[in-house]
Amino acid sequence: MKRHTLPVAATFSALLAFAGGAVGQDAAGTAERQPIVVADLGPQVGELVPDFEMVDQFGNTHDLESIMGPNGAMLLFHRSADW
Amino acid sequence: MELQERLDELESAGIGAAAISYDSPAVLADFAQRRGIDFPLLSDEESEVIARYGILNTVAEEALEDGGDDPDLVAEVARYVSVFGAGQLFVGTPYPGTFIVDGEGRVTSRYFEEFYRERNTTTNVLLKEGIGVSPIEAIEGSSPQLDFTAWPSNTLVGMGTRFSIVIEVRPGENMHVYAPGAEGNGYRVIGLELAPSDLYRLEPVEFPESEIYYFAPLDEYVPVFQEPFTILQEVVMAATPETEEALGDMETITLSGFLNYQACDDAICYLPQSVPISFVLDTEGPDRLRALR
Repeated sequence: MKRHTLPVAATFSALLAFAGGAVGQDAAGTAERQPIVVADLGPQVGELVPDFEMVDQFGNTHDLESIMGPNGAMLLFHRSADW
Repeated sequence: MELQERLDELESAGIGAAAISYDSPAVLADFAQRRGIDFPLLSDEESEVIARYGILNTVAEEALEDGGDDPDLVAEVARYVSVFGAGQLFVGTPYPGTFIVDGEGRVTSRYFEEFYRERNTTTNVLLKEGIGVSPIEAIEGSSPQLDFTAWPSNTLVGMGTRFSIVIEVRPGENMHVYAPGAEGNGYRVIGLELAPSDLYRLEPVEFPESEIYYFAPLDEYVPVFQEPFTILQEVVMAATPETEEALGDMETITLSGFLNYQACDDAICYLPQSVPISFVLDTEGPDRLRALR
């Protein structure tokens, strides 16, 4: 019966994840902040990254494919180049 | 930007690169011209891609709306935005970090931090990815049992810089150098012992996989390295106000310590060795710049 218990457990944890969103509500109705874990944000190891279309410093438009080398890419997200 | 200096090595590894930020193309063009950067600096002015990647940092915006009433939020600002407080400047920025993706766009590793001031250097990322990088300044050492080259991944460090001391070891002919696990047999395991300091913290040393060596005279199996290998000692520069002040008064920082090891061949076991090594690194000034705007 393992095939049946697995989806139930998955649904349960999905509900928990939903209840524990970015901002929860306590009994008094005050917003309670959930801790930030940067490691959990964005695509994880094994997941595909979203495609994009952006202009570079020379005015050329790039997407993920145009950035890629034959073995992949390094995508650096910076706060700013300017400060 | 450090990445510019490592483009050839990335290209040899078949890895493309781009940096993404909320800056306008004009700001990026100006920056690229000043610094001689020719790899793509991509403009995500509306932070739309940053948001789609799920790494948009909304803490500054929330704090500006909140006005400093929520102590948890104030603590998050210091951790994820700025120790000088939130400002409009930070709205739309990502949690800074790096994704490495394979040829299909699948993440193979990611480098993000839980404190905005701590950052992996690009060279450190390449080292951890196993992409060959050449040293800037290296120390060479030689003994009858082995040769080594030791070098810092970066020669300029500042608050929060996460970099590595790299030790490349080449055991002599028929020699084996003891690997982690061999301490149980009474041997000295190779390791870098840097002097502790309030100015940095040391992460556990990263070793490659060792092999098991059968030493017939003692009928024992011991983990060793026989082929050339590299160990990485990651160092994270402190980023507290005290260290910021201390670093601001220093032009260089010296990291000293010992490379400890023991090597043997199939007949003779040599005594444990301790080779003194030290590195003088330039220090970068504090990042006050526009943080107060």
